[in-house]
Amino acid sequence: MIKKISMNAIQSLWLPFALVAAWWVFSANSEDPFFPPLSVIWDQFVFLWVFDNVPIHVVPSLINLFSGFSIGVLIGLVGGVIIGTNQGLARYIEPSVDFIRSIPPVATVPIFIMIFGLSYEMRVAAIAFSAIFPTMLAVIQGMHSNNPTLLDTAKVFRLTPFQTLVRVRIPAAGPIIFSGIQVSLQVAFVVTIASELLGSGFGIGAFTLIATDTFMITDAWTGVILMGTLGFLVNVIFNLVERRVLRWYLASKKLS
Amino acid sequence: MLGFMLLWQLGTSFGPLSGGSLPSAVSAVSTLGELFVLPEIWVAIGQTLFIALVGLLISVVLGIPAGVLVGLSPFAFRSLKPVLDFFKVIPPIVIIPIVILVFGPTTEMGIFLVVFANFFMLVFQSAYGVRDLDSVLLDTLKCYGMTKWEEIWYARIPGALPFIAVGVRIAVASSMIVAVVAGLIGGAPSLGQQMLLYQSSGQPNQTFAIVIIFGVLGLVLARIYAQIQRKIVFWTN
Repeated sequence: MIKKISMNAIQSLWLPFALVAAWWVFSANSEDPFFPPLSVIWDQFVFLWVFDNVPIHVVPSLINLFSGFSIGVLIGLVGGVIIGTNQGLARYIEPSVDFIRSIPPVATVPIFIMIFGLSYEMRVAAIAFSAIFPTMLAVIQGMHSNNPTLLDTAKVFRLTPFQTLVRVRIPAAGPIIFSGIQVSLQVAFVVTIASELLGSGFGIGAFTLIATDTFMITDAWTGVILMGTLGFLVNVIFNLVERRVLRWYLASKKLS
Repeated sequence: MLGFMLLWQLGTSFGPLSGGSLPSAVSAVSTLGELFVLPEIWVAIGQTLFIALVGLLISVVLGIPAGVLVGLSPFAFRSLKPVLDFFKVIPPIVIIPIVILVFGPTTEMGIFLVVFANFFMLVFQSAYGVRDLDSVLLDTLKCYGMTKWEEIWYARIPGALPFIAVGVRIAVASSMIVAVVAGLIGGAPSLGQQMLLYQSSGQPNQTFAIVIIFGVLGLVLARIYAQIQRKIVFWTN
């Protein structure tokens, strides 16, 4: 058993290590100004990000990300439930939603800059706006695909419409809703970075942009690596939360 | 849709947003009409579509065969999965600063970003599709004495097509998005760059009109691909 697990671990981990090692070795004597040796990038990374600049650049980015994301998802959930339970309303609203969601989220950032200027509110508003739609559409879709037997059963048990909604329809749509929230999170992350790249003094995106503009190439690499790692970690945390909330669903899938 | 436009107009003329820099619906739409006679808008639309489509084509041509190969070998799939998982969730926007340094604000930079955005997802999707085959079907093939090649050609690849089709649908949408981002943030010649120009020179109507063009382009591309998909994986509906 233990042997099997460690075999699996080796099989799934050797390549990432090998890739990093290859990068380290092949870049060791690099003279190319755009691709400094990984050892140099690493030293600079430790110098910059453990942990001197974290409160200045990383913390504001993360606060923006989470406040925007939470506001957007909340609006998306409420809006989705209202539209999802109301067939007539859905027909009027869906074309507009369809249109707005076809706009690349990053392209809305200049609009928010026009309205709010380069402020904290602009960032949170842009992040929240882009996080609304994936969640909202997933809620609508999830509630439309509710199993009819489930709804009939709820009727037989004489649940009130409100009880049916909260206890049956929304939980049954949970897996779809969660995949929508995950897309919201990824979009929110992109917009967070974009709102910083398009002009501001702080934030990881802004730091990296300034480094690029001033040809501090090693600094720019550390920024890129930091942003990539954060993007990855945010997803990992989300998956852990999802597994906890949806454990009834995962367990039922295992049984069947 | 009309109601939404009305709400927008009322909101900007009388509501809380009036007097701000947000243009009203009427002025944005009339500016849209003015923009459509400008040649540079059509050039920018063409450049954006060029970046999106060439990038899409390269990532499809490279990503799907690579994914099929990876999916055929359990060892390769298990080894590559963490790498694919990692790159799949990393948005291309984070590598823009480095990519600008290497390519400069060019069309090639945009195409590279589009390929980076789609490649790993397509590899994953095709590899997963090739592996996800009904075991009864596999046993049946064995009973008929099919060779490995016949199994791949007649069962595994057709079986993977629905997964690949989903991957390509995501890729179509993200190619357009990344082409816009490449212009807006990376400065590649495209509609995104045009938009930034309007925004930074304080022309809110034009900026807004371009956002509307983005929405229309995204919708049109999604519709076109839905038609193509219905022809290729006709048995799924």
